Amino acid sequence: MWTRKASFTFTGGIALVLIGMMISNLQMMILGLTFVAFIVVNSWISGHGEVEVQRTLSADNLYKGDDLYVELLVTNRSNRNTQLLEVYDNIPHEMKLRSGLNQMRLNLKPGESARIRYVLRCPLRGHYSIGPVSLRSRNTFNLGVDEMYVDHHSDIVIFPQIKEVEEAFLRSRTPKMYTGATTLRTPGQGSEFYSLREYVPGDPFKNINWKAFARTGELMVNEKCRDAVTDLYLLLDSRDISRIGTVLKNPLEMGTVSAASLAAFFLKRRDSVALAIFDEKLSYLPPDTGDKQYFKILSALAGVSPKGAMPLQAVTNSLSGRFSRGSPVFIISSCEGDGTVPAAVRDLVGRGHEVTVLSPSSIDFERLVSRIPRMSYEVLKLERQNRLTTLAGSGAQVIDWMPDMDLSQALMQVRGY
Amino acid sequence: MADDVGLQKDVTVGGDYRPRTLHLKLLRKQWQILALQIIATVALVGMYLEVVSTYVVGSIDHTMLFDTIEVLIGQQLPIGDFLTGEGSSGLGRFSVPLVLGLTLGGSMALLAFQTPKTQQRIKLGFIITLIVMLIGRLVVSWGFGMLTSFDLRLPDQAELSTLEWPLLMILSLMILFMYLLPVIMGTRGIWGLSRRSIAWSIGFTLLFLGIHAILAFPLINGQLGSYGDALTTVETQFTEPTIGLFGLMLVTNEQFALIMIAVLIMVFQESSYGVIRYLEYAYRLPESCKRDPEYVRQMDNVLNTHLKHTFGFLGLTGIATMVALGFHSVLLDIVEGSTGSQWAGQVSESIELSLTYGLVISALMFLSIMALLRFFVPWERVWGLVNTIRGENQAAPVAATKDVVDL
Repeated sequence: MWTRKASFTFTGGIALVLIGMMISNLQMMILGLTFVAFIVVNSWISGHGEVEVQRTLSADNLYKGDDLYVELLVTNRSNRNTQLLEVYDNIPHEMKLRSGLNQMRLNLKPGESARIRYVLRCPLRGHYSIGPVSLRSRNTFNLGVDEMYVDHHSDIVIFPQIKEVEEAFLRSRTPKMYTGATTLRTPGQGSEFYSLREYVPGDPFKNINWKAFARTGELMVNEKCRDAVTDLYLLLDSRDISRIGTVLKNPLEMGTVSAASLAAFFLKRRDSVALAIFDEKLSYLPPDTGDKQYFKILSALAGVSPKGAMPLQAVTNSLSGRFSRGSPVFIISSCEGDGTVPAAVRDLVGRGHEVTVLSPSSIDFERLVSRIPRMSYEVLKLERQNRLTTLAGSGAQVIDWMPDMDLSQALMQVRGY
Repeated sequence: MADDVGLQKDVTVGGDYRPRTLHLKLLRKQWQILALQIIATVALVGMYLEVVSTYVVGSIDHTMLFDTIEVLIGQQLPIGDFLTGEGSSGLGRFSVPLVLGLTLGGSMALLAFQTPKTQQRIKLGFIITLIVMLIGRLVVSWGFGMLTSFDLRLPDQAELSTLEWPLLMILSLMILFMYLLPVIMGTRGIWGLSRRSIAWSIGFTLLFLGIHAILAFPLINGQLGSYGDALTTVETQFTEPTIGLFGLMLVTNEQFALIMIAVLIMVFQESSYGVIRYLEYAYRLPESCKRDPEYVRQMDNVLNTHLKHTFGFLGLTGIATMVALGFHSVLLDIVEGSTGSQWAGQVSESIELSLTYGLVISALMFLSIMALLRFFVPWERVWGLVNTIRGENQAAPVAATKDVVDL
């Protein structure tokens, strides 16, 4: 495609030829003809040869706030020079360049490669895709430009940050709670040997007992004792109202961080952790242990976005049948705009669950983005306090979580129960 | 951008090892950049000399204007003949002024790289010198006269006559400046990295050519009387071509000079703008990229290609224009030689086809065919073949590690 410069040069050339002919001026005619000849000669070479692009990332999964190292290898696979080629790697706008640059002007000889290296800061959790790679080739005199892109994407998941949670902060009044794993003499997921049984298709190969196979000639697998663990339920409020605040600081962001941190803490103790996210619908991840569950929880939390307005009681009603008896339940919600919260909490406590409500203070988040008159703020704050007091009166442990407060600091509020 | 060149620090890793980086201070001394700037300067001088030798010398040059002014005022202008070129003949009249113009342009470029404070001081010094030169003698003699006569009065005739010399000097310098404007601004643009100055230089040249073309138009030229007769005009009636390629005569000397003007304008424009474009790109790169050997290597590739293409494509442009201008005679020869019919005879003897319209139309036809060749000749493959023959198609080893800095 012609650039503006080429269009002007060509038009100017033709105009000069015509004006030169009109006023019988040879200089103008020749100047015009030279301009046209310049365009013609330069049009012989256009575009670029076959270019191969390969992107390497330092990691596919990262935690929020981490740095991602990206290397883009551009190779000229054709038998001619690429001419002036601008390579631009498209990055999600949520990510910030920390070092290097995601573009380069290059002119690759046949077979030559160039590496573009840059570092991205990932300040927001989520599922992202880097790419495609945009290519823009120009000829030396900027008369022709061709744009295309290489459909090469690299997907990455940014998990919520994991904050350190200290054991002491989560001490419960019920000795059974949070005691970690004890083995039961029943087969299931665990670490201790239980028995041998015949191989069934679908069993993982790592469980095959090769010595038994050598001895008997039949495939046998090891069965483990089931670990008796505490089932912990995390209910995360992802309703539209949880977006109040800034992009980086809002109830939902703090909620995902706390859910991820609590899940990490309990899974490390080999407890089972379940996650329910409610927004316009309910997403439920059944309780399980291990790294796989940890990854599932982080992936689910990475993709959370504020939407919908599902009431908490609808969540507890639909999940109550799945909750293990007496298991602790963490409700992470600002408790705003939902009149069913006290009833839902009362219901859970009545069923014998130890309920902890971790409530990011949405009023204080709102203050970060808009000016609230002092009187209005005081009234709203009082209303919130009343709401939380009601929940505490229902038998739940309530944590009022301020925006500038660390998770460990917030959890200290339930210390001593 | 020019202001920042002096402010940047040299970058060294340590000891005597000084890696190549894309910092402007280092990049400006790189041979490709210097080569492009020298090419642009040579093209500028060449273009200027071609224009003045074709249209100005002996017709409307500055020495003739100085002579006219001297006759009008009845005395010599204060600026020396050695500086103006008066008394010399032909292009010799422009040799010293040209050197002066280049020096002035270079000084202005140098000034652009000084700190704002230094620039301010130099400009202030220049203005004060100019004011002192202009009215210094008048103020001193007038003030002294009033003191000695102890009288408050207006300056008398003798005192006012002290203004003559500085006014005539400034007038002479301004005339010279006007004549040398393309050279001064062009030099300032090339070495001072100023797009505006380059545009001024090219614009002024084209403006001059345009005004000259209008004044040389027979209808207007006739109205100018004796002034019109003094204007140099290039005849559109062509004589036998004397310059060509491979024994094939294509253009006349006059046409060749005009082609040279057009090609040199483009060489000057593309080289000077190219330098600014590449330095701007390097300037905008973040610090880590400036030190990245990969970026340095690619900058080398881009600059080398620009140098090659400046010679290759602009040379081809000149040749294509020459062939285009000579194409009408080829067409006429073909028609005359191939058919032998009555129509062919009429066509070959047609005066119209060998005059301006025939020439231009056949030239445009030739250029159209050249443009269409793009779709029939696989130029990319041809260049690839040329590269293969030259042994350039061996894959360059990819550096697994970087020499200096990693992210």
